[in-house]
Amino acid sequence: MTDRPSPTAVLHEGPRALSDAQVREIEESNLADVLKVDIDDVIEYVHKDLKALPDFTTLYRKYLKQRWDVYDLDFSQDVIDWQEKMTEDERQSFMAIASGFHHGERQVEIELPVFMIGASEEEKLHIAAQIEDEARHTVFFDRFYREVVGLKGDDIMDILDASFPWVSETFVGPFGLLAYQADELRRHPYDERARVRYGTTYFLWIEGVLALSVMKVTLSYARWRGFLPAYYTGFTATCRDESRHVQGGMKYLQDAVRKDPSMINEIHDTLRTILYTSGVNSRQIYYEPLGWTQDEVRILFFQQLRRKLNDVGISLSPDLEELLTKVQPVLAGG
Amino acid sequence: MTETNFFSSGWAAVVRDALDAGPSDQVRAGKLQEYWDLFETIKSVYPASWALGCRELPAELGGGPAYLFVQWAGGTVADCRIIGPDEPLAATYVLAMDYADWKALHDGYDAQRTVMYRKILLEEGNLLEFFKTIYFFAECLAVIGAVEARYPALVPA
Repeated sequence: MTDRPSPTAVLHEGPRALSDAQVREIEESNLADVLKVDIDDVIEYVHKDLKALPDFTTLYRKYLKQRWDVYDLDFSQDVIDWQEKMTEDERQSFMAIASGFHHGERQVEIELPVFMIGASEEEKLHIAAQIEDEARHTVFFDRFYREVVGLKGDDIMDILDASFPWVSETFVGPFGLLAYQADELRRHPYDERARVRYGTTYFLWIEGVLALSVMKVTLSYARWRGFLPAYYTGFTATCRDESRHVQGGMKYLQDAVRKDPSMINEIHDTLRTILYTSGVNSRQIYYEPLGWTQDEVRILFFQQLRRKLNDVGISLSPDLEELLTKVQPVLAGG
Repeated sequence: MTETNFFSSGWAAVVRDALDAGPSDQVRAGKLQEYWDLFETIKSVYPASWALGCRELPAELGGGPAYLFVQWAGGTVADCRIIGPDEPLAATYVLAMDYADWKALHDGYDAQRTVMYRKILLEEGNLLEFFKTIYFFAECLAVIGAVEARYPALVPA
């Protein structure tokens, strides 16, 4: 055990104020130095620019500076931690949460290209970069499951097949919806209303709320225990990538609503469907071995959702507020 | 006993009974009761119909596209039959997938991934309404896939 704050300490802190030096550390760290960055600072960094969102060219330039080589990670210490230091309960909890990301990263990689067709030229640069990010995140999890967890397979799909038994049945709620919305865009790529519905599922819900809530659980565990350094490094770098994705996605939704205020109805209708499917669990997940409780994960989840909605100026209707009280977040992200 | 052919009227009758009975005890044992409570609640009030298509049936099953029509009402299957290519197609949700994917589902491929990997696609109907009951649909798709039937082997292209 280390003397670092417990994984859930940040829940009681409230929003952090990042200094200029901390922001520079997050933005400019190379892959090796990402290990030293606090995941709670990176999650706070996601929100830093939400009130004055950067344009797509700025996000693309950040991507060029922040992209990292997934093959530079050395998982040898992670293998020792996984096999010799972590308990079976910790490994099982970790798998139940990380597997949602293993599959989620693949889903957000393959469902994004159709969204590019109807985008502005500047946004196309940002989306192209995001597709490359998501492909890299997919490889990151493939390497982790193959090299650390020890799953066997000849190709990426073999490893996805092997980790699928840990994925909850409710995964099909947000990720199946995204797949079908991507198919809708394949048929109608310039339908702005369909694009806003897709953007609500992808950028606001899956990336902005689910991913940023759930990725913190395994990362804060790894930091707290001082385990899995390559996992911590790669997944924290992934979180930094997500900050660009969430900011770009929120800019898209904010611009769409400013251009046509009736687009808020598309956001609400999509959230209504998502919240209808988010009120139930199909499996009992034990967070306690990783230092969390189910209630604490829910608090984290609500904090993420409220901050996104407030920062980009999206209000909820009374029926959505009521649905929100029943939500059980899917343990996944992308 | 001779197995019924996939996408035959006999198969549709067995599918109807299987959907009315719902997932097996073995399947139910693997998931939380709260999940099945939601499934049963949706089933009890589900008012919609599905037309589940097979895009290109093998020639020995009649060939061409065909649809399994399933109408839900009052917590049971009110109608379940095969709609041929020349009959009108009227259902709340029209979905379709290739024969190879139907066969894979029957051979044990996961119903959730059948949706998520876009093997079965929504061709007509309100997408957001459809997804409000997606767990009910995915479990029913697994039930349909598990019904014993004769699926001719795939002919290599």
